[in-house]
Amino acid sequence: MASVTQVSMVFDDDSSAAWNEMFSAPGSPRPIYERLFAELGRYQPAELRQRSEQLSHTFSERGVTFAHSGEERPFPLDVVPRLIGAMEWDHLSRGIGQRVHALEAFLADIYGEGRIFAEGVIPRSVVTSSPYFCRPAFAVDPPNGVRITVAGIDIVRDEIGNFRVLEDNVRIPSGVSYVIENRRAMTQTFASLFSDHRVHPVDSYPAHLFTALRAAAPPNQSDPVIVVLSPGVHNAAYFEHVLLARMMGVELVEGRDLLCRSNHVYMRTTNGERPVHVIYRRVDDDWLDPLQFLPDSTIGVAGLVNCARSGNVVISNGIGNGVADDKLVYTYVPEFIRFYLSEEPLIENVETYRLEDDDVRHEVLGSLASYVVKPVDSSGGKGIIIGPQADEKTLAKTAEAVTESPRNWIAQRTVSLSTHPTLVDDGVSPRHIDLRPFAVNDGEEVWVLPGGLTRVALGEGELVVNSSRGGGSKDTWVLTDESIPLSESRVIKQRLRNFNFSPRQDGNVGRGDQ
Amino acid sequence: MLSRLAESLYWIGRYLERSDDTARIVDSYVHRMVEDPFNDEDATCRSLYSILGIDVDSDEPVTTEQMLQHIVYDADNPNSIAGSLSGAFENARRSREFISSEMWVALNSTRNRLPQMENTARRLGPSQYLLFVRERAALLAGLIDTTLSHDDGWHFLVLGRSIERIDMTARLLRGRVLSEEHAPDWLAFLRACGAMEAFMRSTREIHNANGVATFLLLDRLFPRSVLYSLNLADTCLYEIQPSSQRIATADLARQSLARARGRLEFMDPADLLDQLPELLEMLEETCVRINDAVTDRFFGHEDYVVWSREGGL
Amino acid sequence: MNETLSLTIRHHTGFTYDGLAKSSYNEARMTPITGASQEVRHARVTVQPVVPLSTHADYFGTIVTAFDIQEPHPKLEVEARSNVESRAGLVAPAISWRELRAPALVDFFSEYLFATERTKLAGDVLDPLAEWSQISDLHSCVDAVSAYVRGNVTYLPGATSVEATAQEAWDLGEGVCQDLTHVTIGLLRELGIPARYVSGYLFPLSDADVGEVVAGQSHAWIEYFSGAWTGMDPTNGIPETERHIIVGNGRDYDDVAPLKGVYQGAASSSLGVVVDMSRTH
Repeated sequence: MASVTQVSMVFDDDSSAAWNEMFSAPGSPRPIYERLFAELGRYQPAELRQRSEQLSHTFSERGVTFAHSGEERPFPLDVVPRLIGAMEWDHLSRGIGQRVHALEAFLADIYGEGRIFAEGVIPRSVVTSSPYFCRPAFAVDPPNGVRITVAGIDIVRDEIGNFRVLEDNVRIPSGVSYVIENRRAMTQTFASLFSDHRVHPVDSYPAHLFTALRAAAPPNQSDPVIVVLSPGVHNAAYFEHVLLARMMGVELVEGRDLLCRSNHVYMRTTNGERPVHVIYRRVDDDWLDPLQFLPDSTIGVAGLVNCARSGNVVISNGIGNGVADDKLVYTYVPEFIRFYLSEEPLIENVETYRLEDDDVRHEVLGSLASYVVKPVDSSGGKGIIIGPQADEKTLAKTAEAVTESPRNWIAQRTVSLSTHPTLVDDGVSPRHIDLRPFAVNDGEEVWVLPGGLTRVALGEGELVVNSSRGGGSKDTWVLTDESIPLSESRVIKQRLRNFNFSPRQDGNVGRGDQ
Repeated sequence: MLSRLAESLYWIGRYLERSDDTARIVDSYVHRMVEDPFNDEDATCRSLYSILGIDVDSDEPVTTEQMLQHIVYDADNPNSIAGSLSGAFENARRSREFISSEMWVALNSTRNRLPQMENTARRLGPSQYLLFVRERAALLAGLIDTTLSHDDGWHFLVLGRSIERIDMTARLLRGRVLSEEHAPDWLAFLRACGAMEAFMRSTREIHNANGVATFLLLDRLFPRSVLYSLNLADTCLYEIQPSSQRIATADLARQSLARARGRLEFMDPADLLDQLPELLEMLEETCVRINDAVTDRFFGHEDYVVWSREGGL
Repeated sequence: MNETLSLTIRHHTGFTYDGLAKSSYNEARMTPITGASQEVRHARVTVQPVVPLSTHADYFGTIVTAFDIQEPHPKLEVEARSNVESRAGLVAPAISWRELRAPALVDFFSEYLFATERTKLAGDVLDPLAEWSQISDLHSCVDAVSAYVRGNVTYLPGATSVEATAQEAWDLGEGVCQDLTHVTIGLLRELGIPARYVSGYLFPLSDADVGEVVAGQSHAWIEYFSGAWTGMDPTNGIPETERHIIVGNGRDYDDVAPLKGVYQGAASSSLGVVVDMSRTH
């Protein structure tokens, strides 16, 4: 019983304000964790460590790695899985679906009619000043209306156990390959843990993505050719690009494999040029088309945006989606949900402060050490300042940067992310975690992959969980509850009945030059 | 299939075969040096360099250690064993969505284990390392044949393997022809090609140089013979032609190949030894020509395209 | 009664390459647009080598002709011909500063109030801002700014490259119409007056007969918002006249560059710009 003592003992040490995912009180696991807790209790810490080494060996052999500072590293997988109950998951996945629908409506609106500006829900200047607002994307209308084929909405659990959205990722969210590989590795090396649990499988993700990409194809294509466009082997997520292409049975291409001619896209094959209709691209907007964006990009495809404009090819996720990821725009997403869907948000944002407002800014700058400050255009945890953990010099520099350009920063309450028992050097200890569920929109419904990527900050007290900051991950189990049929836990599309966005006909209309 | 992918597969075939064949050749030379301590180490190493197409500038005597470093362990040299395996691995990374998981895992773990094998080899001599390389090559060859569909991609891979094998067998024989005194004897050659038993069964004449050369060049049934590899390469070239063009005239690669095969097939085996230097040169040239023709015809994708903004107005 | 002018315009431009360009992708913004002050009767863009062309309106409403060339070519030529009927824009009485600073209006025109890399200004150029903001009539204020720019940046063809920023031209004290336009826009935005860049053609003052071809020029000027968009030519210090033919507008030059593209191959050089114009009646 040594390990049980060990698992429960560290819970006693967990004196932080954070929500502990496994325990409700010292030594007493929450109901959904009871069986896992009992099962884990049968292992000596040394045995857990052995499994852990086996997991990392499996990853190295399979090449499940991400590139970090020029070296390929396995993404550490913790042996203790994270569990989500059926009821809770139902709520989460509906909340995510709702958010994706609202963001879709928002993107269609700002790259078209601009109703939301006319109604004063969000200032036009917030959008036009976003570094991601992409004017060449204007009036590039996807045939089935889907710009967000894949969304990765980052979720955290606050101190009292409520889920909150930390940020939206609707450009090229990555990490789903780890969800699939984590599960594969766990079932192979730790099958016994799965006994007594009914866990939703995760390997149907590629099939859902494929269906969504097919549905996105130009309407006159009965058998569209779909490709995955990767920046190439040196990209951090190359492993994922390969996995998705393989599991969908489509070609993995690089920019140099494609060619635009007279608004059609072709790939170069041993049999000559072959037309391409849907491009699931994992190349950022800036690098995607040297004609429209960075002219010195060697990983893009010249002329691609105009091909998409002409409707002969669909770029997925859409270009210009980054506006929705802008962290200042994020603060308005609850308003989008009310405006476009006439619903209340199912998952709240983390409390966030807009620093362009003089009063708010003064307030925040007055006690900067208690806030988290983020650049609006960052991703992957880059450039984030955690006030309580920052030194005086950093805080002073941050205050200066915020004062200089308040539009480029937001401040958030420092949420103590929930913790989860995690195998570390000296035993099993609570570590902060978050969750990135992956949602796929095929135009009919938003399907959310059960679970998602639970990232864990391996340093004690560390609040940034990103892999680029040395984080690891956990296999995430959504438990099925026999009382809830699976079909109901899917998010059924909430139709935007009253909103029918037609493409804007006249580039000058509504800008006041009449 | 994607041109870039086809090229990667072709080179996986070539690099894997190169690592296997190099291991076999080095093994036979090292074996000879151990057997014959009075052998001129420098000359033997230089002889080995010359058959592998390596220029040596320096007049300093080459030691066995240097030779092993250069031909076996040096990952920066694309012709060394470590370099070939790393080349195969890099191409496999670029074609990972095509090759099977098992093949990928086998290649990845080969690469992961190589540094440790090298450490051991530096202490205990290269033979375990060379054996490991050959075993992995055999494992990979098996996986290539059993876990990939025998479609265009597989044909590109086998084409690469066949071309490399012809080239390496020709080089091996050339070493013997060029500097007989420093090369392993015919028997060692047969062993290097894994052909000892097959040869014995088919001819039972161990010390007949002409017989060995004939076997390695012209045997129709032994898979490492040049003729066998030429036939296999031709089959691959036939299969990867666009279906609409199957009946049309043969392409450049198949023409070169047919010429080489004609040369071999219509020759009097009795003259083989006399003509050997010329024949081997012809075979090496054929490999280069086929390689260029295939590259031109099928791998015509762009390298990274560099775009420039048009000059200001 | 407004005077109208009927013009035939031929705009020819392109690039030559040192050797061959392997392939190229381009967008031409060379087609005049119908609006309050002009009506386009006919417009046509042609390209050498001959390739399929496609057209669309961009975010700013400018007509874009997009095309790509896949065969190796030693030069690229683009020619836009059009037939335009033009009249001088009406200048309506301006709204007040207070109306101009209404939050809704400021938000609506935000894109024309932010500085861009091209229009950004700092230093002594901004000295008279306070003085200008005391001028109650917006039109007079803009005229004052324009006079200031013309007085400090001498119009000199070839003085700057197409890449120049407003600040560079100001520091140099010389520039072409594009530079005077950028500096003026930069200052107006500093004052809180929405201002945008207009690309087009200028028919020279001449007593040319109907049908007689005269050398026109590619030209740039501004529009500022004073209750309506009002055209103004800072290079010549005059309002937008019937001799100004509008192709498009944007935040700065980069939004309306007449021909931009990328190509593979050796260095390129411009064929220069030829604009021929003639009155049709």
